[in-house]
Amino acid sequence: MRSVRLALPAFLLAACVARADLLPDNRPIPEAIDHYVDAKLTKSAITPAPQADDYTLIRRLTLDLVGRIPTPAETRSFVESTDPAKREKLVDRLMASPGFVRHQANQFEAMLAGPNNRGGGNGLRDYLTRALGENRPWDQIFRELLLPDESDPKTKGSSDFLRSRVADIDRVTIDTSIIFFGVNVSCAQCHDHPLVSDWKQDHFYGMKSFFSRTFDNGGFLAEREYGLVRFKPTKGPERQAKMMFLTGTAVNAPGLKEPTKDEEKKEREKFEQFKKDKKAPPPPSFSARAKLVEVALQSKEAEFFSRAIANRLWHRFLGYGLVMPLDQMHSENKPSHPELLEWLARDVSSHKYDLRRVIRGIVLSKAYSRSSKWTGDTIPGPGLFAVGRLKALTPMQMATSLRIATSDPQAFESGKPEEFEKRIEGLESAARGFAGSFAQPTDDFQIGVSEALLFSNGDKIAREYLADGNDRLLARVKAANDPDKAIDLAVRSVLCRPPTPEEQRALKEYIGRRSDRLSEAYRQVIWALISGSEFRFNY
Amino acid sequence: MGIKHFCGSTDHAISRRGFLGTAAAVGTAAFADMTGLEWLSSPALAGELKKQQKRVILLWLAGGASQLETWDPKPGAATGGPFRSIKTAMPGVHISELMPKMADRMKHTLIIRSLNTKNADHGGGAKLMMRGRRDEANVKFPDLGAVVAREMGRADSKVPDYVTFYTQTEGRGMAPGDAGFLGSRFAPMELTTNNMPENIRKIDGMTELDHQQRADLRDLLSQQFAQGRTSPTLGSQNEAYQRVRGLMSSEALFDVTKESDKVRDLYGRGQFGEQCLIARRLIEAGVPFVRVARAWWDSHGQNFETHQEMVPELDYVMAALVDDLKDRSLLEHTLIITLAEFGRTPGINPSLGRDHFASAWSCSLTGCGIKPGVYGKTDATGNKVAEGEVDAAKLFATIYSALGINPHKNYYLGSRPVPLVEPGTDPIIEVLA
Repeated sequence: MRSVRLALPAFLLAACVARADLLPDNRPIPEAIDHYVDAKLTKSAITPAPQADDYTLIRRLTLDLVGRIPTPAETRSFVESTDPAKREKLVDRLMASPGFVRHQANQFEAMLAGPNNRGGGNGLRDYLTRALGENRPWDQIFRELLLPDESDPKTKGSSDFLRSRVADIDRVTIDTSIIFFGVNVSCAQCHDHPLVSDWKQDHFYGMKSFFSRTFDNGGFLAEREYGLVRFKPTKGPERQAKMMFLTGTAVNAPGLKEPTKDEEKKEREKFEQFKKDKKAPPPPSFSARAKLVEVALQSKEAEFFSRAIANRLWHRFLGYGLVMPLDQMHSENKPSHPELLEWLARDVSSHKYDLRRVIRGIVLSKAYSRSSKWTGDTIPGPGLFAVGRLKALTPMQMATSLRIATSDPQAFESGKPEEFEKRIEGLESAARGFAGSFAQPTDDFQIGVSEALLFSNGDKIAREYLADGNDRLLARVKAANDPDKAIDLAVRSVLCRPPTPEEQRALKEYIGRRSDRLSEAYRQVIWALISGSEFRFNY
Repeated sequence: MGIKHFCGSTDHAISRRGFLGTAAAVGTAAFADMTGLEWLSSPALAGELKKQQKRVILLWLAGGASQLETWDPKPGAATGGPFRSIKTAMPGVHISELMPKMADRMKHTLIIRSLNTKNADHGGGAKLMMRGRRDEANVKFPDLGAVVAREMGRADSKVPDYVTFYTQTEGRGMAPGDAGFLGSRFAPMELTTNNMPENIRKIDGMTELDHQQRADLRDLLSQQFAQGRTSPTLGSQNEAYQRVRGLMSSEALFDVTKESDKVRDLYGRGQFGEQCLIARRLIEAGVPFVRVARAWWDSHGQNFETHQEMVPELDYVMAALVDDLKDRSLLEHTLIITLAEFGRTPGINPSLGRDHFASAWSCSLTGCGIKPGVYGKTDATGNKVAEGEVDAAKLFATIYSALGINPHKNYYLGSRPVPLVEPGTDPIIEVLA
């Protein structure tokens, strides 16, 4: 079998920065990030926002790395620490905790569900939790998702990615291209892309050819030995698609001919037997899908793969991609920082697609830890990364954080670290149901009135989060017996910072006007804090 | 972005300015607790609203009503069934004898008898007929209600933009209201269990004043956070909370007991009638889109008994709606649509039922300046469209045009323009005012 590059992928070269001109690859990731981001800021004559304060930083890191707000004790110990390496130590502690794996699994699950929220489910999440827990490299995860071995317990659940889509091969083609390569070829399904000269119908049908032999055989994924994709171009007669990757690299595959009647019959009988036996059929002698994985990870072609994951991780932590939208990585949509994207892509591929390494590098950069508050006149465009960006909490971040915010903070203070972890895990599981009340944020996410009505009048918010039980924040706040202390405790628990003097004044006044019903007053204060904008965002 | 993103058209900008200007003259106190209905009581504002604000009531006949027992009878044909056809107020137009009240009101209604929408599967058909187009692999299109909410709704509205009643279970999971790529800001308020929306009623054990002041406290804290920060999501969250009090005050809109017995009797005391009466109350208060689904039309068996029972209800409720809207001078600004996922086969099966059929069926459009009469024609047995074929895209282009929305308008998904209807589709010009 031989791969041949049929056409010179000119756009690929054009989009690419000469790697020889990049900063050396042995520079620490945060340094490279700040080098490139600062260079563009200097060129644009913009002074970025200052670094976020410690309260903001620990909240941001804890939400981004383990998917929840920090407890008051965690916040206090970070803010009070004078250790110059406290940020690195916090990052390492969070990344070593089981919460990191669970949260990243949630994040990757949402990413794999794709723009239309398809697939996913417990099987896929369990798989991701195992894979990320072992820090399996991203290329291995990609391989296990596209070439699942349904009999291997190590990769159980990874087949959900394909199985949830296999009834529609166009969907498999488009979602795979978007998720793993940052490329949306859906326009090219019907015509050459009108705006992007990179994407021709040949690309869509070329990618589809890798999947067209895959189907569902009685609940198991199966792949045929044969199968061609023919399409009617907008001009000219119908033609047969090449098995072709996005770079234009085509594959000379056997079986690029129609099977004879006899071959077809034999194959059909074989699959019928597997269906009867309720067994997963073995892969064909030549698997087009396996070929896609192989080609996509070849050194030149892998630039799509490595750039896409670098851009997605950047977007996840900075709230905005180096290329936006995430599925429009092509020559006519340049990255905001081409060298940085190249540098990160090179780094990720030359370090065996180690996701933890990139994540750690990004969150230790200064670009990541800027304040989200802009004090100048016009807020600079998001592609400059001059100021922190607001990220709406994901459903799980929201539901888990609500539980933490409204629990008695003392409950988190006693006991061993393992007990703390167990308790957090318990809160997370308990939060999963309620998480379904929130929408998964997208780039132009809009919050609807149903969420505001749910908070304002929903029974569940009142009963579960604002109840008066012993283990609740409300009980602890009331027990403070002093409005200043009570307000301080409530704000620290919910917003992970002390109240500002104006807040202290406003809240005290609010409570003072309700001295005949203090319990209600404090309940209302906690409600105003959990329903407010600050709590809703990672800022 | 917030409000600008939500309401791009200059018409709306003018309308909002007018609204705020007049309200300011009345005084801020009036503005603060003004519900949609009170707002309408200002004649100047109501006039402006009526001029610009079109609205839609969609009567969704879930399961697929038979065109032969409603809008396109074929008496005497082998496929015609037992019912006769009757004359209507429109000379030459006959409809089923099961619809005598609408026959008398045909001067307001357009029947389209030539729908060929090709999809005779409940799920696919419902999606298609709620959107006018098929989803692409990575584009989830908004449905009609969400588009109308987007185009006609107002950021500062005290009422919901899109309300859907779907109490019966048949087909409910197949045709939920769906804002698609427009996002949750335009998602419908869905009523599936009773006639009062979820979480709209003030939570127990709290005074009205505390509820209001608690919300004010939330806004105060959130305003501090918003200083020096901007994001469309942040804007939408505060906007959503600002609408809570207004929506709560619209609770009364959902309460039919606020209507006189006379009006209630007009619509009847059944669930469908009451929901249509609520729909009228809602659109009168400025809600741009209301869907009332009435299910159990999927008559694979006993088609004629089913229709004998259900069509008269549709007839008198629809007639009540037409009369009531006309009396209130709202009919010229409100489009009543009767639509389903498909129609039913002319062929009658051994269980005396009619099956799914999407190649020659009917819908109706009433009000909003639509020219009454009949558009399109089926052949003698009703098996084929004989004249003036209309597909889903053409129907939607016509609906959008009647509402004053350019059907070729683009939304943008990233940089990709997404036209409201399939490119190259024209509305039925002949029926538009």
